[in-house]
Amino acid sequence: MKLLSRETPARFVLRGVVLVAPVLAMLAARPDDGPSGWFLALTVVLSIGFAAMPESALGTMCLGLVVFWWMLAADDGVPVGAVPAALLLLAAHVASVLLSYGPARLPVGVELLRRWLRRAAGVGVAAPLVWLVALAVDGRPEPPGIWVSGLVCAVVVCIVAAVAVTVREEQP
Amino acid sequence: MVGALAVVTSVIGAAPAVMVLGAPFVVLACFGLLHRPDSSPSVRAMLDHRWLHEGQGTTSRLVLDEDDDVEHVARLMAPTPYIALHPPTGLAAGLTHAPPTIEIGPRRWGRRALGEEQVCLTAPWAGYRWGPVRLPGETLRVLPQTRRFDSRADTPRPVGLVGVNRSPRLGAGVEFADIRPFRPGDRLRRISWRVSVRSRELHVTTSPAEEDSGVLLVVDALGDHGSSDGLDGTASSLDQGVRAAAAVAEHHIRTGDRVGLRVVGGDGGLLGYGAGTRHLRCLLDVLAGVRAGELPRGVVDRLQLRVTGGSVVFVFSPMLGQAIVTATASLVQRGLPVVVVDTLPPGVSPMVPDGVDPRLAELAWRMRKLERDQVLAGLAALGCPVIAWRGAGTLDDVLRRLSRRRGVPQVVAR
Repeated sequence: MKLLSRETPARFVLRGVVLVAPVLAMLAARPDDGPSGWFLALTVVLSIGFAAMPESALGTMCLGLVVFWWMLAADDGVPVGAVPAALLLLAAHVASVLLSYGPARLPVGVELLRRWLRRAAGVGVAAPLVWLVALAVDGRPEPPGIWVSGLVCAVVVCIVAAVAVTVREEQP
Repeated sequence: MVGALAVVTSVIGAAPAVMVLGAPFVVLACFGLLHRPDSSPSVRAMLDHRWLHEGQGTTSRLVLDEDDDVEHVARLMAPTPYIALHPPTGLAAGLTHAPPTIEIGPRRWGRRALGEEQVCLTAPWAGYRWGPVRLPGETLRVLPQTRRFDSRADTPRPVGLVGVNRSPRLGAGVEFADIRPFRPGDRLRRISWRVSVRSRELHVTTSPAEEDSGVLLVVDALGDHGSSDGLDGTASSLDQGVRAAAAVAEHHIRTGDRVGLRVVGGDGGLLGYGAGTRHLRCLLDVLAGVRAGELPRGVVDRLQLRVTGGSVVFVFSPMLGQAIVTATASLVQRGLPVVVVDTLPPGVSPMVPDGVDPRLAELAWRMRKLERDQVLAGLAALGCPVIAWRGAGTLDDVLRRLSRRRGVPQVVAR
């Protein structure tokens, strides 16, 4: 309560976004794919922790839990609810980033807020684009081994990125 | 992390919807990696002013070097007693094109070390963070406020050759003193032709010489009684003494007098007679460094203020220390004009140490105050005026009375 009483209105709203957005993202699935009570309760608990400590690993756990639920709920098809869910997760992430720029009670600068809103709007476009692509290829016969190839490709990209970063670190 | 998790789970679970969830995070991570810093920034804090008077303000700015990869700067300054900050939390943040500043307003004289700072720099897209880095607090010299005192009275005992105070001797001043018959050696331009024609005998006008005077300020730092809440709050005895001494010093320096300073107690402090703005600055600097503390045991019994003849002495003291009382009485008995400015705040009560009965402490304090009243009455009986500091005009009446008394023969104890 002491923490909340010191918060500026802007930070209070951002914490609210961090608290609510992951839960709403989970509920954005189709009604018949609704999460079980335990899953929802766990997400709410993690969201509360995420909102209180936006820099902690609770954030990753909370968003990861939502992603995991979507993997279970939408293992076939590409529901349209994935787009608002993605935007909600993005909103939670951006809000937590804005809260993490400094110690608690640090006012959120208007210029920084605008900058991140523009960034979020730009990055958020990726969600409907991927959804459209997924919708276009959904239902078509899968070439054998396509998912394994995709995984290998993703791993290779990650390794290349890690190597590139390491090489830059070693440069004087 | 979330993006990678989404990609892996979508591939493993064959769930393209999860890829939709992870796509914005992947893009964010890519932008963060693209803006990875190549250089190591350095940061330092800088004050606009290091010398301030109480109530004045300055700004602490951050100087960033190698900040090409920095987008956002956040800083937190720890609170310091008697230093007002704006923003009051000491927290400020901003983008690099307008680094955050913190306004600083000292509320009490002294040498103040600002609180330690923590600075955090963030790269674009919040992919990388530098810090928080600790910056040591800057040191600030806060001079006592001086603008509350102005006196129209002359200093009682001018001794120098030039100045603005009326000398007891006649000389080459501009103010009218008398008209008398012409004597050999008088300047012709002093002849009053109107009176000479009327009396048919040459007469000259005379005027008092204008001289400076020596003023010695004695500040009692043997203890600090009462609480100090800064410029706008309650003032302790040392606050009153230092501020009053600063105000009197500035007044006399501005009128051309030579002013010296002697700090009794604490770390001590001695500044010879001098005049001019530079000397005033030295005086205020010594006053800003005054700390309360007892005198060494050997010095208490033989405290001498080393006052030269012809000076007027202002003693700023709560008159609770035996050494300062004895030294003041000695000066009065030497026939020097001494003014005691009582700096004990009204209604002050002592701090009660742990384990001491508060009623006992209160009783002891009352007895101590009775003794003090007797001391002040004794000084007044010796001819030493004792006044409480009230700001502008405090000393006018006393100085006028001392000036009138200067022509009266006095018995001096040697």
